[in-house]
Amino acid sequence: MKRTYDAIVVGAGPAGSSAALTMARSGLNVALLERGSFPGEKNMFGGVLHRMTALEEVFPDFWNQAPLERHVVQKNLSFITEGSCFNVSFDSEEADRPPYNGYTIFRPRFDHWLAGEAVKAGATLLTRSTVDDVIIENGKVAGVTLLRDEAQLRAPVVIAADGVLSFTAKKAGLRSAEFSPSNQGVCIKALIDMTKEVIDDRFGLVLNQGASKEIVGCTSGVRGGSFLYTNYDSLSLGMVLELASLNEKGKTPYDLLNAFMQQPQMAKLLKGGRLLEYSAHLVPKGGYDMKPELVGDGIMVAGDAAAFCIVTGLNLEGINLAAQSGVLAGKAAIEAHRQRDFSKSSLTVYRKMLEESFVLKDLKLYKRAPQMLHNDRIYSQYPELVCSMMDEIYRIDGKPKDTMTRMLLSKVKKTVGLKNLMADVYSGWRAL
Amino acid sequence: MNINLDEIFDYTSFNVDRDPHIILDENLCKVCDQRYCVNACPARCYAWSEEEQKMTFVHDGCLECGTCYVVCEKKAFTRWRYPRGGFGVSYRMT
Ligand SMILES: Cc1cc2nc3c(=O)[nH]c(=O)nc-3n(C[C@H](O)[C@H](O)[C@H](O)COP(=O)(O)OP(=O)(O)OC[C@H]3O[C@@H](n4cnc5c(N)ncnc54)[C@H](O)[C@@H]3O)c2cc1C
Ligand code: SF4
Ligand code: SF4
Repeated sequence: MKRTYDAIVVGAGPAGSSAALTMARSGLNVALLERGSFPGEKNMFGGVLHRMTALEEVFPDFWNQAPLERHVVQKNLSFITEGSCFNVSFDSEEADRPPYNGYTIFRPRFDHWLAGEAVKAGATLLTRSTVDDVIIENGKVAGVTLLRDEAQLRAPVVIAADGVLSFTAKKAGLRSAEFSPSNQGVCIKALIDMTKEVIDDRFGLVLNQGASKEIVGCTSGVRGGSFLYTNYDSLSLGMVLELASLNEKGKTPYDLLNAFMQQPQMAKLLKGGRLLEYSAHLVPKGGYDMKPELVGDGIMVAGDAAAFCIVTGLNLEGINLAAQSGVLAGKAAIEAHRQRDFSKSSLTVYRKMLEESFVLKDLKLYKRAPQMLHNDRIYSQYPELVCSMMDEIYRIDGKPKDTMTRMLLSKVKKTVGLKNLMADVYSGWRAL
Repeated sequence: MNINLDEIFDYTSFNVDRDPHIILDENLCKVCDQRYCVNACPARCYAWSEEEQKMTFVHDGCLECGTCYVVCEKKAFTRWRYPRGGFGVSYRMT
């Protein structure tokens, strides 16, 4: 099979489908290639779909069109130890009105929908199509080959939106360094069946309101964190674990998740639930410094393939960056067609647009977050410190109490040390 | 609640390809002193037998996450690619 298009997009995730949608709407003949038997089949995430400003431009009432589970009104941050849990909660009226700030979704449904919109706009979606290699001619990317029927698809411009491992970017020579286990987190997730009524009662929600919970602690000292999100009638529970730290500690992801689910406060929230699906995926958590080359002759890289992911511990942003970068890559391809110039220097407009948008601005802003999170005290000592502080504050046992400051100081001295605490507060403040 | 990987095929759907998408050079595993893959793989696809000094890899329940690709310092893969189109893990909801 040999075919020629105006543009080829590898991967029908949020980045790829946004790029294909943008180009198809301006009349380009676009091929959108996906290895799954439908878009979204291979994809998992936490997840909270943050507000999608890039897509609201195309769908002004995005929240009425996309297949969403709940909109998130309640955000929680928890520190947990083996037997206790300290929770900070933020619940807002503002988040209960459109445009909503975030939603829980299922990727097999959401990605399917978004790719469908690209098809409606005129893109050609080819599923069951695993891209095997890029075709390079005279030093320029000229198309891709598929892992079936010796298919060759040609186009003057290719957008690599094939996710975290992006073999397309690698084969085009845009990523030379090997991945480092300290820049990647593995995420495992359990989808848990629970009725809407039980979820609403347990989390204090009504109608389509949703809650998110980011959790620090209970990872046996492995650098990482956990999350719990409410879907319409199920819960998404998972853990993101830094690979280097997991290796160092010799732990398995599923043993850690099992221990976490049995932690008493977590067990209460999950009580009566039933496991529906188990999944795993990598998260590029290295931030700004981990990106590959974003542009080459005849090629651009978008989304996770370009390591556009922000992991701060409070939030995980990826899909919004993926969609925005996809739209911008699409716009750059449209411009390249107008100029009939697909060289690296012509496509560099993509990089410029990224620099002016929140994508590279935010990645730069949180540049120090990976370094800050590379601190074992966060995972092993701080949850313990916070929870034992609370325990002492609330405990009535007939003994006279210390002042809060003295209590804190004595606890800090015994655990993290005052100097470390100050250094960590400073580094956290600088990173966030 | 508990995740039991012996029952992974009850929770998660797969359309297993006879042609494996990951092929290991087991000789490199023999001399590997880390074997990070064994613990890190979330689907427990790698099993090392100390007795036989042998690595067994089964791709059937692979979740295509990429962890082994990143943690293996020896790059012991004669092949590491995604399955052919339409094969492999198939998430329904997640
Ligand atoms: C556990 C976890 C939790 C997360 N939580 C959040 C969250 O709460 N909020 C958030 O915004 N982000 C979150 N993220 C990040 C977010 O999921 C990603 O940033 C986002 O999915 C990136 O989109 P993408 O389109 O770039 O890549 P992907 O979604 O990975 O899409 C890539 C597509 O390319 C296809 N593909 C790959 N290789 C080939 C090939 N060779 N040929 C053909 N097709 C191919 C894949 O099948 C896939 O459909 C999370 C990620 C993980 C793993
Ligand atoms: S880490 Fe690599 S070389 Fe070592 S046992 Fe695993 S696959 Fe083999
Ligand atoms: S890709 Fe992930 S699930 Fe598959 S064998 Fe490697 S580590 Fe295991």
